[in-house]
This record gives sequence, structure tokens and C-alpha cells, in this order.
Amino acid sequence: MDSEKHLTLVESLYPTVQRRTQSDRPAITVECDRLLELMQTLRDHAGLRFDLLLTHTAVDYPDENRFELLYLLYSTVHGTRILVATNLERSRPVAPSVCGIWPIAEWQEREAYDLMGILYDEHPDLRRIFLEDDWEGFPLRKDYQDSYMLELPK
Amino acid sequence: MGLVLENLPGLVERFPGGSVAITRLDETINLARSNSLWPLMFGTKCCAIEMLMATGASHHDLARFGAEVARASVRQADLMVIAGAIVKKMAPRMRLLYEQMAEPRYVIATGSCAISGGPFMYNSYTVVRGTDEIIPVDVYVPGCPPRPEAFFWGLLTLQRMIREGETIREPGVRRKPVMSALPDGVSLQEIRREILAALVEENVVDVAKASATKPWARKVREWIQKNTSR
Ligand code: SF4
Repeated sequence: MDSEKHLTLVESLYPTVQRRTQSDRPAITVECDRLLELMQTLRDHAGLRFDLLLTHTAVDYPDENRFELLYLLYSTVHGTRILVATNLERSRPVAPSVCGIWPIAEWQEREAYDLMGILYDEHPDLRRIFLEDDWEGFPLRKDYQDSYMLELPK
Repeated sequence: MGLVLENLPGLVERFPGGSVAITRLDETINLARSNSLWPLMFGTKCCAIEMLMATGASHHDLARFGAEVARASVRQADLMVIAGAIVKKMAPRMRLLYEQMAEPRYVIATGSCAISGGPFMYNSYTVVRGTDEIIPVDVYVPGCPPRPEAFFWGLLTLQRMIREGETIREPGVRRKPVMSALPDGVSLQEIRREILAALVEENVVDVAKASATKPWARKVREWIQKNTSR
């Protein structure tokens, strides 16, 4: 399989990268400080060529005190997909921006900032994208509360 | 031109060389208004697929009720179908659209989202719990989403409400909003049958027959008889 080949190649280039076993697609986890470097390789390495960022999103795990960032990449050259995940500490959600690698990431990162409050280093224009500019808080975080919201009665 | 399901109540007197029709101005205006509603092209969620696209297409065909001229500009529309949830960001814009609509204007709220917030009533940070918090609604059509037939039922209810209004004497008065649920067990086949029967039966508009049931028409007839027998 092509994706198996790709995974082995990534692992040989970055030995610290972990393969995710419980996943329905080829997926890897990487530490946050090596993310940018890995992404650049994923796009530019002749054997990989993941030139399309399909989607980027974040997941909140308050119990484990972390945010998980997910990047779904697609290679239009090889026709394969790969999911790249990285973990952020919940108290300090700062991640490197991948705008320089895939320009489309600009809006996707603005969305993650808008709803989850992830901050991106060196993002050219980190503003809210869906909610009003004066919105307080980040509504997709699990502990979000506001005065308008109704709690579901037990 | 819509399918006009009832006659204009009035009186037709034959005279040599033509006829004179006597009716109330209110009835005429209401009949015209109720059968030429111009909806606004406005849909915010999944209900819009059902309400404006499925009903507008040829299978269900909104044109039968004279409400097919969907307008992209509020200034040309007088019916607002709220199809889907309204979020906080949309709410002021919707209010603005409503204010700019031509008078008299009518609002139908379809689907549980537009009525109460529906599935997004609890634990939602952004959905407004019911559009009637923002603008007055005339007819509520429940469902998630309501079937096109249910929407037509709501539209017919609105038409009935318009026809009962006093257009000349009390032009701005709104009627109380109503919940217009399709009665239990009404199927598409049944509605088709009824519409077909109505089409066959009402092909010929018999104004004189319809006017016979109105008490004021009887008075007019007596007056005419008294004056013409002299
Ligand atoms: S009522 Fe149901 S179908 Fe209609 S907009 Fe809400 S969720 Fe969608």
C-alpha cells in the first residue's frame, strides 16, 4: 500500500513520530515543537508530496488537560491521505501556524481560534471568523458558559 | 396565477348589454392578496430545502397557491418564510429584512428550530430560542422538517387569515398567531385527491351561488328588487 510506504518513510525521517493505532486512516502523532518541520517535509519530500490541507480542527479533552490539533492532508500526486495530530497543553494553547506551508490554513486556523481559542504563532491575521468580534469566550470548549445558554434539565 | 379555491362572494345582476357585480371591496382586496403572496428568498437551514426548494419545484409546486414569485429583494416581498434556526448573529439582520418588507407583511415560521430553537434549545451558545423573540409570526408550522404538504397547510391557513381580515377599516391589525399542524393521518394521496376534486369542481366560478350564503348579499338583493320593481 502507498500509505504504508508513506508511514514508513515518515518514521524513518522522524523517529520520534508515533503511529496511531486506533484510527481508521493512516495517522501519526508528533510533538508540537517539531510540527512545522514535519509539515514542511510532508509537503516537499518527493516521496510524500502532501500538497493539500483538507481540513484542520481541534478537539478539547478537559480531563486529560490537553487540546488535540488535527491536520488532514491529501497528496494529489500519490492519491493518499494522512492525519497528523499534535497535543497542546490546555493552559497554554499556542501552536505554530502552518499558513506559510498551505495558505488555506489561514481561515481554518481562524476558525479553530474562534471556536476553541487556539493561538497560532505568526498567523498573519488572527481574528474571529464566525462569531462577532466582541464575543467573549470560546464556545466549543467543553467548559464554556454564558448567560444566554440554557442547561438541559436532568 | 394561483389556484383560487373559493369564490368571490358577491352578487351579479344581469342587465341588458352586460352585468353588474356587487361585492365588498374588502373581499376583493383580500382575495387578491391571499392568492398572490410573494415570498422572500430566505432560508437559514435544512428546512429551507424542504420549504423553499422542494415546494417551489414542479412536484409539489407552490405556484398552485399563487405564491411562487420568490423575490430576492425584501422590498418586493410580503411573505417571509423562516425556514431554519436563527442564530444570534443573524437575528438583527432578519429584523432589518422584516422592517424593510412591504406592508402588509406576513411571517410563517416552519420547523421546530424557527418555533422554539428545537434541537438547539439547550446547551447552545448561539441559536435564538424562537423567532418570535425577534419578529411577530403569523403561522407556525411544526415539524422537523415539516413535509411540503404541511407547509401548504400552513400557507392555506395564512390565506384564510388574510381573507378574514378587515382591510379597509382596520388595515394594520394583525390576527393572533396560530399553530397550523397538519391533521393526523392526512396523506399526500388524500391531498392530491382533494385538490383534483377542487380543480374539477371549481373550474367554473359561480359568483351568484356563493353570494347566496352571505347575509349582507341578501340585503343588497332586496334593495335592488325594491328599487328595480318601481
Ligand atoms: S426544524 Fe429540523 S429540519 Fe428544520 S431547520 Fe431545524 S433541524 Fe433543520
